[in-house]
Amino acid sequence: MTLNPLPWSSFRLEGCTLTGGLSVTTEVTDGVTIIHGPAGCSQHNASLIHATLLDHDTPHLLRIHSSDLDEVGVIFGGEGALAACIREAAAGDPSAIFVLSTCVVQTIGDDVGGVCRRDWGVPVISIPSSGFLGGGFQDGMRNALIALGDLAGDRVEREGGITLVGEKNLEDDVEENFREVSRLLALLGEKVRLRFVRGIRGADIPEISRGRLNILREPELRAVGESFAARFGTPYLDSFPVGLSGSLRFIGETAGFLGVDPAGALEEERAFQDEALAGFEDLRGERISIGPSSGDTADPFAIELVSSLGLLLSEDGVPLPLPSPPPVGTGGLVRLLHRWRRVLHA
Amino acid sequence: MKQIALYGKGGIGKSTTAANLSAALAEMGMDVLQIGCDPKRDSTRMLMHGSWIPTVLDQVREGREASITPDQIVFRGFRGVRCVEAGGPEPGVGCAGRGIIATFQLLERLDSLKGDVILYDVLGDVVCGGFAMPMREGYAQEVYLVTSGELMSLYAANNICRAIARLAGRVRGRCRLAGVIGNGAGQAREEPLVRAFADRIHSRLVTFIPRDPIVQRAEINRMTVIEFAPDSAQAGVYRSLAKSILENRNLVIPTPLSMDDLESLAMEFIPA
Repeated sequence: MTLNPLPWSSFRLEGCTLTGGLSVTTEVTDGVTIIHGPAGCSQHNASLIHATLLDHDTPHLLRIHSSDLDEVGVIFGGEGALAACIREAAAGDPSAIFVLSTCVVQTIGDDVGGVCRRDWGVPVISIPSSGFLGGGFQDGMRNALIALGDLAGDRVEREGGITLVGEKNLEDDVEENFREVSRLLALLGEKVRLRFVRGIRGADIPEISRGRLNILREPELRAVGESFAARFGTPYLDSFPVGLSGSLRFIGETAGFLGVDPAGALEEERAFQDEALAGFEDLRGERISIGPSSGDTADPFAIELVSSLGLLLSEDGVPLPLPSPPPVGTGGLVRLLHRWRRVLHA
Repeated sequence: MKQIALYGKGGIGKSTTAANLSAALAEMGMDVLQIGCDPKRDSTRMLMHGSWIPTVLDQVREGREASITPDQIVFRGFRGVRCVEAGGPEPGVGCAGRGIIATFQLLERLDSLKGDVILYDVLGDVVCGGFAMPMREGYAQEVYLVTSGELMSLYAANNICRAIARLAGRVRGRCRLAGVIGNGAGQAREEPLVRAFADRIHSRLVTFIPRDPIVQRAEINRMTVIEFAPDSAQAGVYRSLAKSILENRNLVIPTPLSMDDLESLAMEFIPA
């Protein structure tokens, strides 16, 4: 029995584990995802993801099948319906089949893992999910990332490069954030080897074991970092950079993992930050207020930014928006400052 | 129309009691419908002379739900008792409780839930909402607990009291405890113990059915006692039970005992 606590908050991306799992598995472009449960669970989640991608002007056809569990399946067990669905999906010769399960499947006790372990002629990966019973969006995403690592096998051939783990495929700025991290890594002479998982093919998944360092999108994915560290011996940095000093710290920590001298990269980035902030001198002295983006207090990155720009925090100041999650790197701060300027000079 | 349900620990004799009760009611000229609500599907077997009737969920499993007719799931047994078995999944898969709910919905759709008396014979314990279905939505308004004097049997009966109390408290909750049927296991001071239990939960002992080898002999011959040995004392007990149930107007919301109170009660009657 799973007794997962419900997510402490249900804001923004907190759907159920299906949505979180799908945000990962549908990024394996030649793979297929099966949602084992009633067709409505597939329709709802697929429509949610499709609407989000449409909003980002990046819609694509999601390769999702439903085992279409009905009343008979609920009463007599749904393993037969799942097997039939896997058989149908395997006929299309996908690189892999990922199976997510719904609340009702957990409730009636289908042995989803057992069905997936049969020889289907194609890898079939069961992702611990169970709809809302398995937790929230973040749990589904985390479990999918760890489960996809199973396709890498146990053989480790270290070749170098950086792996980005757990990019938020449904956030607005996912590509901008990728470019920002790539820019910072380039200062150290490093490149992104693999985006795990964003727009990759099944054959790319074994690359997860070959990079020198995994960089997680956010600290909530530490369990994924730990899993890959234990399995492949790859160290990890637990977050994309956040804030001015956070970006510098990111460079320093990455250099530490890679065993290179960060001095030159730090100097370049400081100069880049100075130049970027200089472009917003017109905001200096503005009276503003900023609300918390999460938790009880404004994020430290925002306080640091306000201080660096000479803005004046005041309860009766112009309220400025703070994004959640916080902007990535110096580039993310620049985009935020453009938004602030539009508000202040509106 | 009187709708009653028998609940109690598995193996305590609910189906034997139910089948003999239906047979006795039919003898009295009643139009009786007995519904077995257990995947074991053996509730009505003695009324059907040992044959296993097709279950409602067999039809559903075969995908014939849309075209199903009453004569495919309702079968006439001894003295015209109409027999239905819900059936259910194989052990270890699916959800039998959901199956009970689906069975009721189907019987209602087919207008088959009718008669002078409908008797629901429900699996051992109220393990989930599905098995509480006969007590909900106005189906069985009178619940009888079948128990022996064994502690685990009393424990199960007490648990069912909890379910009745909970469901009776709902806005549309109409189910009530109609009484306790003692089914003897041959234990010393058993009848006084079951009677005391009934009193403590604020109900009453309707009938105590003594243990009698005639029951086993009738079942070996694939009949109810009423049919196999109509003149036996045991058949008389079942007829008396049927009469009591027809006349019973004493419906209560029970007060379940705590585990400590239940054990203390048992200690008064069962030698340590």
